[in-house]
Order: sequence, then C-alpha cells, then structure tokens
Amino acid sequence: MSSIKEQFNQISPSEFFYSNRDLAGFSNPTRSLYTAVREFVENALDACDQKGILPDVHLIIKAVDPDKPDPKPYILTVKDNGPGIDAEHIPLAFGTVLYGSKFGLKQARGMFGLGATMAILYGQITTNKPVTVKSSVDGVTQDVFELLLDIQKNKPVIVKHTTKEVSKKGLSVSICLEGDYSKAGTKIRDYVYETSLITPYASITFDDPKEQKFSHPRFVKEIPPPPTIIRPHPHGIDVERIRRMIVESQFEIPTIDDAMIEKVRKDLGLSVKNLSFTAIMEKAKKKWKTLPRQVRVVISLMSFLKMDFEKLNKIRIEDIDMPNKKLHYWDFGDSQSKSVDMDSESQYYKQLTNTVQGEPLTTFLTKRFQRIGPTTAVKFAEYAGFKPEKRMGTLSNQELVNLSDALQKFEDFMAPDSTCLAPLGAEPLEKGIKKFFNPDFSAVVQRPASAYSGFPFIVEMGIAYGGDIKSGGPHVYRYANRIPLLYDEGSDVVLKVVNETDWGRYKIKGEPPFIIVSHICSTRIPYKTAGKENVADRPEIERELRLALQLLSRKLAAYMSKRGQADMAKKRANLYAKYIPLIAEFCTELAGKKKEPNYKKILAENAIESKQTADVENTIDSKQTVKEEN
Amino acid sequence: MATTKKEQTKIKERSKKADEKQKNILEMLKSHGAKIYDDLDNGQFPKFSIPSRSVSNIVYDKKLRQYILGSNAAVRSSRNSAQLRSFTQLMWLAFFANRLTQERKSSTLRDIYYSSQAFAIEFEDQSESDNIIVDLEAVTSKPREDFHIFPEERSSIFGDLTIEYTIPGYEGKKMNLSNHPDGYSIGPSLTTAELVDTSAEIVIAIEKGGLFTRFVEEQVDKKFKSIIINTGGQAPRSTRTLLKRLHEEMNLPVIVLTDGDVYGEHIAMVIKSGSANAAHLRDLTVPDAKWVGVWATDIEKYKLPTIPMTESDIKRCYDLQKDPRYQDGVWKKELDVFLRLKRKAELEAFSKYGLTNITDKYLPQKLELAKSL
Repeated sequence: MSSIKEQFNQISPSEFFYSNRDLAGFSNPTRSLYTAVREFVENALDACDQKGILPDVHLIIKAVDPDKPDPKPYILTVKDNGPGIDAEHIPLAFGTVLYGSKFGLKQARGMFGLGATMAILYGQITTNKPVTVKSSVDGVTQDVFELLLDIQKNKPVIVKHTTKEVSKKGLSVSICLEGDYSKAGTKIRDYVYETSLITPYASITFDDPKEQKFSHPRFVKEIPPPPTIIRPHPHGIDVERIRRMIVESQFEIPTIDDAMIEKVRKDLGLSVKNLSFTAIMEKAKKKWKTLPRQVRVVISLMSFLKMDFEKLNKIRIEDIDMPNKKLHYWDFGDSQSKSVDMDSESQYYKQLTNTVQGEPLTTFLTKRFQRIGPTTAVKFAEYAGFKPEKRMGTLSNQELVNLSDALQKFEDFMAPDSTCLAPLGAEPLEKGIKKFFNPDFSAVVQRPASAYSGFPFIVEMGIAYGGDIKSGGPHVYRYANRIPLLYDEGSDVVLKVVNETDWGRYKIKGEPPFIIVSHICSTRIPYKTAGKENVADRPEIERELRLALQLLSRKLAAYMSKRGQADMAKKRANLYAKYIPLIAEFCTELAGKKKEPNYKKILAENAIESKQTADVENTIDSKQTVKEEN
Repeated sequence: MATTKKEQTKIKERSKKADEKQKNILEMLKSHGAKIYDDLDNGQFPKFSIPSRSVSNIVYDKKLRQYILGSNAAVRSSRNSAQLRSFTQLMWLAFFANRLTQERKSSTLRDIYYSSQAFAIEFEDQSESDNIIVDLEAVTSKPREDFHIFPEERSSIFGDLTIEYTIPGYEGKKMNLSNHPDGYSIGPSLTTAELVDTSAEIVIAIEKGGLFTRFVEEQVDKKFKSIIINTGGQAPRSTRTLLKRLHEEMNLPVIVLTDGDVYGEHIAMVIKSGSANAAHLRDLTVPDAKWVGVWATDIEKYKLPTIPMTESDIKRCYDLQKDPRYQDGVWKKELDVFLRLKRKAELEAFSKYGLTNITDKYLPQKLELAKSL
C-alpha cells in the first residue's frame, strides 16, 4: 500500500507539466510554436521593463529542413538587450520547472517564468535537442549554455558551458521544436504586430522561416514607470486570506530548548558567564531595544517565572492564559504542573499579549493593507462593530466572517493603490493607435484603478474610426498586462461587453471601419484557462470595461454626428456647385438676358460654410485624448 | 372676291389668336425666368411656390364640376439640397419648353426624357421626367400641350370638320377631316389647329378603335351628322382639349360611348369632369358631355352576352362609390347595377345580333335618349 502512496508523492513538477502540457498551450505543433514565441518574447520584454531598459527584441524562426512539409522542426531564437541572467542561475532558471524570480504582488506579463520552461520542455520532447542560452550581464563576457531537462528529477543537465567575449548585454534563448509555421504564421505575425502596438517603447523585429522580415521600430522613447510590489487592498478580500494573514502576523511561543537558550545568551552578550536572574533581567533591560522578538518573549516569560537559565532548562511552558493572567508550566524536576501569576501592569505582560493574541485590529489593518491609515482603521472598526484594540488572535470564526464582509462593504477605503500596476498610459496608447491605423478619429481613456478579489486592476481603452481601418468593425484588440490575446475570443469578457453594446445608439451603423483596443492591467488577470487567452467575466472588471467603452462611444458618437454634418455640408456644397450654374444658364435664356447672373456669391458663401464645419471637426479630433481622473 | 377677303381677315385673326397664345406662354415663362435670374444675381437662393398635388389637397369643386387643387402649396427652394435636383430639372424643363414654344416644335414625353441628357440633367427614368412636367403644369396652370409637349398615345378623329393648321410650314393650310377613312390622329398639329367649319351636329366619342372603324364604315358621320372620335381607352389630354373646343367653339354636344363596365363609365366621367391626376389643370373638361352607354341596365335590357367582373373591377366599383361625382343620377344608378350584376359587357357584345346592330339599332336609340339626359 505504501508504494502507491510513494508514486503519488514523487511526481516532479516537470513530470506533471510533461503530462499536462495542453494546459499551458502546447497542445499541437501550431499552437505550440505560437505559445513558445509568446513565452520567450514576453520574458524578454518583462526583463527589460523591470530594469527600465528600452527593449530591443529580435525573434527568429528558421526551419531545420525548409524542404520538409509541416509540421517539422524549427529553431526558435529570441534575443534581447535586457539585463541577462547570472551564469550561476542559468541552469536552474532554464532547466527547472517552477523556478523563477517573478513572485510577489505586482504586474508582469508572466507569473513564474513557467511558460518558457514549458517551451523548452516541449522542444526537448519533440526534437530531443538541448536549449541554447547565451547571457551577458556585464556586456563583456557571455556565458553560453547548452541544457537539457531531467524530467523525472526536475533538474538541469548541462551539456556544454563556454564563455566568450561580447560587446553587448542581453540574453538569447534558442530552442529546437516541432512546429507548423504554415498554420501558425498568421497568428505569430499578428502577435508581433499587436505586441508592438501595446509596447510602443520596444523595437521588435521578426525574421520568419520564409525569409520575410517584419520590423516594428519603437515610436515612443519613454518607458512607462515600472510597477512596485504592494500590500493587498481590503475590498474583495476573503476570510481565508485574512486567516492566512493573521497566521503570518501571529508569533508562536518559542520552544525553550538548548539552542534557544544559547541564542538568548548570545544576544545578551552572556555566552560565557552564568548570571543570576536579577542580573539577567537588568542586562536585558539595557539591551531591550536591540533584541529580536523571540528573545524578548523568552525574557518576558523569565520575568514572571523568576528563573535563571539553569532553571529555565528544566521546565516546559504549557499555556499562557492571558485573560486570567496565569502562566502554566511543567516542571521536569518535580514532575508536576505549576503556575505563576502575571502582573498585567508589567511591560513584559504587554509583550506576551502581542505575541499570543496577535496585533490589535487597527494595527493589523494599517500594517497589512494598503490604503488604510490609523483614522480609517478606527472608523472602520466602529463601522464593523469591533473594538479598535481587539486582538486579531482572539477573533472567533464568526467574527472573522463579519470582518471579511465588512472589509468588502466599507466604502470609505480609497481606491486600490495602482503603483503595483503598469498601465501603458493614455498618451502612448493613443500614439500607437494613430500610428497603426491612421484613423480619422481616436479617443483613449484610462479608468481609475479598481479591484476584484483583492487584486487591483486598471482598464485602458482606445477607440478609433476611419482612416486605414478596414470596414466590418468593431475589430477588437484585446490585451492583458501588455500581452495580446489572440485565441478563444468568443468567451472573453471584453468581447461580451462589446457585443452587448447597441452601436446604433452611437450613430454607428452597417459595417463600420472601427477598432477598439482594450488593455486590462492587474496583478492577477483572471484568465479562464492556463493558456492565457481569454479573461473571465468578473463583475468588477466587466463594469470598468463597460464604463470605459461607454465614455469612448459617446465621444465617437459626438464625432460621428459632427462628421455627418461635415459630410452633409460638403455634399451640399458639391450639389450647389453642380446645379446652381445650370439654373443660372437656364434662367438666363428664359429671362431673355445675355449675361449670366452673378451666382458666384452663393457658391463662395457655401464653400466657406462647409470648410468651417470641417475645421470644427478637426479641432474636436485633436482634443480627443482623455485621461479620467479619480 | 368678297368672301376671300373676309376669309383672309379670318385667317389673319386666327393666326393672330395663335400668336397671342404663344406670346402669353412665352411672357409667362420669361417672368418666371426673370424672377429666378434676379434672385441669383442678388446672391439669393431662388425658390418658388408649387401647389401641392397630394391626395389631401385634391378637392372636388361642385361649381366647376371637376377636381381642383386646394390652397396648399409647397415652396421649392434651391437652397434645400434635397430639392435642388428637382428644382434644376424644372428650370431646365421651363427653359426647354421655352425653346419648343418659340420654335413651335413639338416633343413627346419620351423626347423630353432623352433631351435632358444633352444638358447634364439626369432623369433617372421617364417617370421622373413626366413628374417634372406635371410640376411645370402645376406651377404655370397650363397643360403641357401649351408647351408643345405631347404624350405618345394617339387617339383619332373622323368627320366633316375643316381645320386650319398653325404649326410652322403649314400655317394657313386647311384640311377637311372626312377625306381619309382611317381617321386622323390627334397630335400636336391638330390640337393647335384652328377649327374653321363643320356640318356636324354632334360629337360621338367612342372608347375603342375597332368600333371607330365600324362607325366610319357604316357612315355614322353622315347618317347622324356627327364627328367620331376614338379615345383609345382613357382619353388623352389633347383629345379632351379637342372635345372641349368642339363643344365650346363649334357648339357641338358631346356624347360618350364606352364598354359596359366600371372602367368605361369612368372614361366618360373623366371626359366630363376631369381626373384627379390633372386636378392642377382647368379647360380639360366637357361638363355637358353625356355618357350614353353601354350602361349596366343595357346589359339586361339588350340581353347582351356578359363576362364576370374581376376582383379589381369590383374593388373599383366600391372606390368610385366614394367619389362625390358618383353620388347621384345615372352615374350612381349604373354603378349600383354593375355591383348587383357583377358582370360586364363590351361594345362588341352587340355583334351577337349582327355586326351593324350597334349602329343600326342601339346608337339611334341612345342618340334620341341623349336629348333628354
């Protein structure tokens, strides 16, 4: 029986992903090639973003044997000008599943660097070739690794490691994998194109297997401010998360063993001498401020026990009963349970209270959440029906539920801190839209930050009409954390919101030449699947999307009616220019005159009118960039 | 020679009359043109008022005994881009009518449609140009024939009537309309001709060409001292104008003979009191004209072979029952009988009793009856 149990326990992360690679987007040669491209390009961009480097990313896909029919092996290479990876980390980073630096609450394209390893794993499975990683962190030396994954042990195997001299920093990853470019090509080209729209500060080039070159130079010179790591927002937090936070905040009673006593001695500077109880306490008082918490707790216990180290070694703490101010312990020497009273006035009592019962509610809130200051914390405590000094460790299950409910409902918290998010910004987004579509009209909005389930998010949206845009719109470009989402659009929340819009209300009819660019930034995008292609319809996100789209649609409607008027004026002027001279010609003969009437006045006036309308339109056009304030 | 002299004075008078008419038309067109010209010259968008021809503005005038347009009028402005095109089309038509009238040249409705293309005036189809022609009639209150615009449909005339042409090249030339047994087609030259002399005492308008030929063969013109006119179904405007002139200028009574159905009855009614379609025009009606048959009651009286009425025949009966002109007299009575019988008879039905039965028996009875109507 126990052998079965062992089998379950010994599956390595590599093995797990090997057998579940569909989950991560490696289901077939077409999808796998596309996913691999995405993972490496996104890692390259993330690496540059984090160090504030304007990214230069070069993607190359080459067929190993161009004459073979698809699917066939391809060599996929992605080079960047990022910070590179230290040689010592390379084998683990590229040869282990679930190894990465992207943990923590901030926005990044990928979460754990998992996808890249999956791509390497997929390449190795399908072609049995090692991954080649070239990295230079100093721009002088480059480490070149050839690595294989030991799937069962989840460990890298270094096939080859050399170094050489280079002149540039950066990372280059090259894998050989089974792919189908004839089918995946369109998606990959779309991906590169759409990525360059949402990453206007990056230069991306792509050499495809058919020897075509796609170049997307950067057109914005400033990189958006990088995100910071932050605490969670109280809105949308749940009981389970609070419970975990309390556990983190609560300090356990240290086990008083030899090692602990040795640590206390050392910290008090008493490693050699044996001092009396009083002397120890005096020494501790002097050094109190420099002592770590664990040591302080031991000292506090000693103060009530009135024992020196020797005696302390012979007991075990059984319970610290704060409400009854009793300290229970087992005396090994007498082999019985004993207890002492605790003086609640003593500073040592306070120290123990903190340790045993956790922080007061207000401290817990201000220290562990964003957007809660002392005043808000007190106000919230009153709202939720808790005493501000209520100890977190003493909350019953029901009280926890009440607290969680109240945190979600209390309306006076400020909107979540969005410094952990890295939206592109309204201005670069609009610049991108203008460059890509050369539209007659465009408008962009960045919504204030909001939160779902404790994760902050920001919706950025742009809308454009006319110009180079193909008819048959709205064409929707979906982005999440600067990743274009190309697959599975049917079930996406953005599409849902767009499809539910009655465009007739906004004077948009027929097959309009019109696009919508939607960008959701969050510390965690609620993807429906592990393949990162469609966003689930969380009500909070749906609401923000809807508000953004409504705002932009109203602006588009205003433009459309102006455009309609301008069109009409122009059309009218054309009609006048066509017909008035004819009327003049006919009535001249009819009236028996020789000279035609001077109808030029009418035409001149109308030409001016129609030009004025057109000017108004242009002015409106240039004012369309909107950044909404909180 | 005295007669000749007298004759010459008459000719001069007649040609003077024709000249006068032409002059009036040209003056009127000129004044319209001048107004438009001045507007343009003053930097204003020209516009004019046009009587509304919508159903709600067509009313029956009991005194005139015809449909006329009410007082509703619409302004057609060249500033309005939706009207600019039709405004220009109408201007072109006035301009073109002016040329036709000056040069005394005639043109058909279809000619108008094609002529427009030489002037960058595009009519989408003939019905659009026909409609603009009606606009010109409404604005000027003159029938299109006054502007030398004629429809393609031709009816014909036969009988002892002497006319004198006024059209260019034929001025002063006379013609008797009993010289050619197929009859004379009523076109621009006949419509504009002066009516000089006749021995006839009555005008018989008949709906069908076949019966017209029969009447000529049977010398109805001589036997009954009549002028025979084939209306070719619903009488064209020019034919109605000619009927009116024969009635007024030559003092001839007009009787109408049609098929024995509701459409026939209405052909007679249009000759008598006009159509709603031409409510914008006067002088197209012969209020004293009499419908003498074939009546619904004749079907029973003469035991004529019949055919059943169609759905649309019956519907037409009910429609006409609402028409104010069908509220009394023979009009109402016969309509009611048609509805009761739900059957109809053509003029040819009399052939059952012999080809000449209609001229030998039926016509004399009806002519007699007409005197008492």
